[in-house]
Amino acid sequence: MFITFALITLLGALGMLLQKNVIVAGLCMVAAFFGVAGLFVLLANPVAAALQIIVYTGAIMVLVLFVIMMLNSHEEEKAQTPRPVQRWLSLALVAALAFGAVKLVMASAGLKALAVSGAAVPRAMTLQKVGTTLFADHLLGFEVAGLLLLAAMIGAVALTKRDL
Amino acid sequence: MTGMDAILHGGLQGYLVVALLLFSIGLATVLLRRTLLLQFMGVELMLNAANVALLAFARFRGGDAQAMVFYLFIIAVAACEAAVGLALVIGLFRHRDTTDSDRAASLKQ
Repeated sequence: MFITFALITLLGALGMLLQKNVIVAGLCMVAAFFGVAGLFVLLANPVAAALQIIVYTGAIMVLVLFVIMMLNSHEEEKAQTPRPVQRWLSLALVAALAFGAVKLVMASAGLKALAVSGAAVPRAMTLQKVGTTLFADHLLGFEVAGLLLLAAMIGAVALTKRDL
Repeated sequence: MTGMDAILHGGLQGYLVVALLLFSIGLATVLLRRTLLLQFMGVELMLNAANVALLAFARFRGGDAQAMVFYLFIIAVAACEAAVGLALVIGLFRHRDTTDSDRAASLKQ
């Protein structure tokens, strides 16, 4: 089960990286987000899975696809100056980073101990538990997040409006 | 469950490796693609990779609810980032008629 969702996620992400058409890349991204939601279900966290689908695939990706269609930028524009050296360097850097990090994760003794001590599947996360923690311990953070969303909304309207 | 077995059957290391690869693909998207909208999607992918690692650690620490609160805040910030980022892309397109980040190298009109 895990390997299925992991493959859906990674193949969706790879599709986004390699796809020429921007709309198709966006739809590959939706597949990747669904894979991540499946991983969250396997992590005994259905609340996070539901949020992932509602917020990422439901809101953010629809917004992105809407903007792609509005700006009519389906294909990547031709490069003004091809930069082969920089592109290969960045690719090598990313590959080295990924390889090194995976090697570190596999070699870490602390992670191995944590994987053994926490192997038993915990009780599934409930909305009640999340709500209690959120409003008992993090009320100020919640209010600040609300303020931030309001500021972002006003900022987005101000940026897109032609003459304010 | 450790080693290769953890990667194939969903141990802690398996989730972390998926998160790392997801982050690397997102980073590669930001570095290699020139369309601003695709670069934006790469940033979202990196945020998602961080979420996978966070919730994997929460599950292996016995279903910690604090991580879920953290995840809620990350999602709120991601939504703000999406709104403002896309508004900036639209603003750039109005002034320069392009969504290519190479063509937006100068702040002057």
